[in-house]
Amino acid sequence: MFTLALRSLRHRATAMTATFVAILLGTAVMGSFTPLIQVALDPGTPSAEQETLLVLGGVVGAWGTVIALFSVVSTVGITVRQREVEIGLLRTVGAEPRQVRALVRAETLVVALVAAVLGALVASLTSRALLELLQSGGVVGEQVVHSGGGVALAATVVLLLVVSLAAAGLAGSRASRGPATVAPSEGRAGSGRIAWWRWAVALVAVGQTATMVAMTMATGKDAANPYDAMAMTGSLGLLLAVGLAALAPLLLRAGSWLLRPLLVGTSGHLAAYNTSRRSHLLAGVLAPVMVLSAAAVSILMLVGIDERTLPAGLSPELTEEFETINLLNNVVTAMICAFAAIMVVNAFAAVLADRRLELHRLRLLGATPGQVRGSVLAEAGIVAAVGAVVGLLAAQATIVPFAYVRGEGVVPDAQLWLPPLLLAGAVALTLASAVGATSRALRATSDAR
Amino acid sequence: MTTPALEVVGLTRIYGTGAAAVPALNGLDLACAPGTFTAVMGPSGSGKSTFLTCAGALEQPTEGRVLIAGQDVTELSEARRTRMRRERIGFVFQGFHLLPYLTAEQNVALPLRLAGRRIDAAARRRIRELLDRVGLGDRAGHLPTQLSGGQQQRVAIARALVTGPDIVLADEPTGALDSHTAASVLALLRSLVHELGATVVMVTHDPVAAAYADSVVFLVDGRAVGRMENPVAEAVAGQMAHLDELTARTEREMV
Repeated sequence: MFTLALRSLRHRATAMTATFVAILLGTAVMGSFTPLIQVALDPGTPSAEQETLLVLGGVVGAWGTVIALFSVVSTVGITVRQREVEIGLLRTVGAEPRQVRALVRAETLVVALVAAVLGALVASLTSRALLELLQSGGVVGEQVVHSGGGVALAATVVLLLVVSLAAAGLAGSRASRGPATVAPSEGRAGSGRIAWWRWAVALVAVGQTATMVAMTMATGKDAANPYDAMAMTGSLGLLLAVGLAALAPLLLRAGSWLLRPLLVGTSGHLAAYNTSRRSHLLAGVLAPVMVLSAAAVSILMLVGIDERTLPAGLSPELTEEFETINLLNNVVTAMICAFAAIMVVNAFAAVLADRRLELHRLRLLGATPGQVRGSVLAEAGIVAAVGAVVGLLAAQATIVPFAYVRGEGVVPDAQLWLPPLLLAGAVALTLASAVGATSRALRATSDAR
Repeated sequence: MTTPALEVVGLTRIYGTGAAAVPALNGLDLACAPGTFTAVMGPSGSGKSTFLTCAGALEQPTEGRVLIAGQDVTELSEARRTRMRRERIGFVFQGFHLLPYLTAEQNVALPLRLAGRRIDAAARRRIRELLDRVGLGDRAGHLPTQLSGGQQQRVAIARALVTGPDIVLADEPTGALDSHTAASVLALLRSLVHELGATVVMVTHDPVAAAYADSVVFLVDGRAVGRMENPVAEAVAGQMAHLDELTARTEREMV
């Protein structure tokens, strides 16, 4: 199986690029922060700096882990789904489901190993740069020495490998379920039911968000530390967005239905039906667009409100804490946005690589390249619109309670121009990645002929 | 004499250059009168598929002309050829090539939409009639996954006819079907030719399928080497065996 996996990898070098990039970046980002924990635990590190380093390494590292894992799981899933026909073929010539899963795992392991090790090399440099940055910013004292963080980096690599294998196992078992057939299942209707666990994830996230919002608004104003409210609300927008992302196929169908009147012409007609009847495909793109929008809007608005409303005359300790916290906020936002952006591009590339035959078919039937591009662009427009709107709504879970507790009322006092700007960025990114992916797919179809 | 629905003259298509040049078509001449059903047969590598892609204006020939109802398509720009393809040529493929997220009715309507025509009441009626004609009047709202292979191919045939094309090109249309379903799809194609006056050119390697046509043209090495009118399966199979023998002998001589 392993030799087969290596051969198969050589044949699909480009298809595996997405997985490779996701794992490489995941390791690099996580590995930039996890060595800080190791530095903190170093006997030579002053105990005053320990807490800052632990918080930085722990909080950002944990967020990074969640995001990196999310992106690795979704990318591996998409990569495997692209190969349903080939997996069907393997099964018809006698591969057992167990062997198919082993093949998928072996392939992913090879890619993940190379990507994670390279990512760790990158991280060994960036984590030093990060410590220097923190020291020059005065967040961490100059006497702290970077110990190399070998153990932390190794742990990061192992963690990413384990997650990649788990993702591959999940995707492989989904791909090898059901009877063996070479018939491409591209037509598998997307209007099917939403799996129970998606409802569960969404319900838990919505419930948790609602509870936290209510608690913050009830008690936050009386809290002694002005950062308690921030700690409680900071991640709610993201939490809600991730929860709602579990329902992405449903949201896409609803959005496509609402936007139907705007979808005119042949391209719009095709896009409307593709988004509603095969929502499971484009849901993989919608989820990161939602997360990207929600993260960027909620955290940047939070920082803005905080800077406007921070009580004057705080103790020097609190002021230092203030610096660290806002640095953290900005780093986390940048990281989440970078990841979500890469996932949007990745997911679109994967979805369209999957649809080359279908686009070719449209061309055979007499569609001009412009019509094909137009229909994909219209689909991207639907995804972008739904993602931006849902992301903006999810961000309110952070903005509303925080603005209320800090005395700005339910709507923040300033910076209302920021959300539209950020959302426009998310929409532009979605459309641009669709255009890029379509050009590649169309070029590939004309080569295929 | 009436203008042929499809005429190819001296059609030549060479892949590669220099020593690696392989002629897939080598001066093929062929004409199909309107309202006829022609089968094109030949051993593997005889140029059947290349003929279809050139005749369908998908690919430019190296030399020679392709005339659809008297109009030379090899002189047209890519954009004009695309327009030509969707308005005057209908395609039926071995793999059906339906769009998975459109219903049968929407799939049939697609060429009209791509051509920028409005789907008005008249168009809707025409689509319904075609679906009735191929025996799927009650399946108009079904998605391809909810249809059997034979039914999907019937939808594809209705789609090929919806623009009222000068010529329908079918590439192994029954290759993916069982023999019983294949027979009914071939009978349908034949009746569309005789009752609606459609012109069909079908590439196949199956003598039984070819026997449904009015005439069979045999290709060998990119050239037409024979023609059989009112074919019966046994005679076609005999001729094919003979052609296989011929090619085998030429190959032996070349070695």
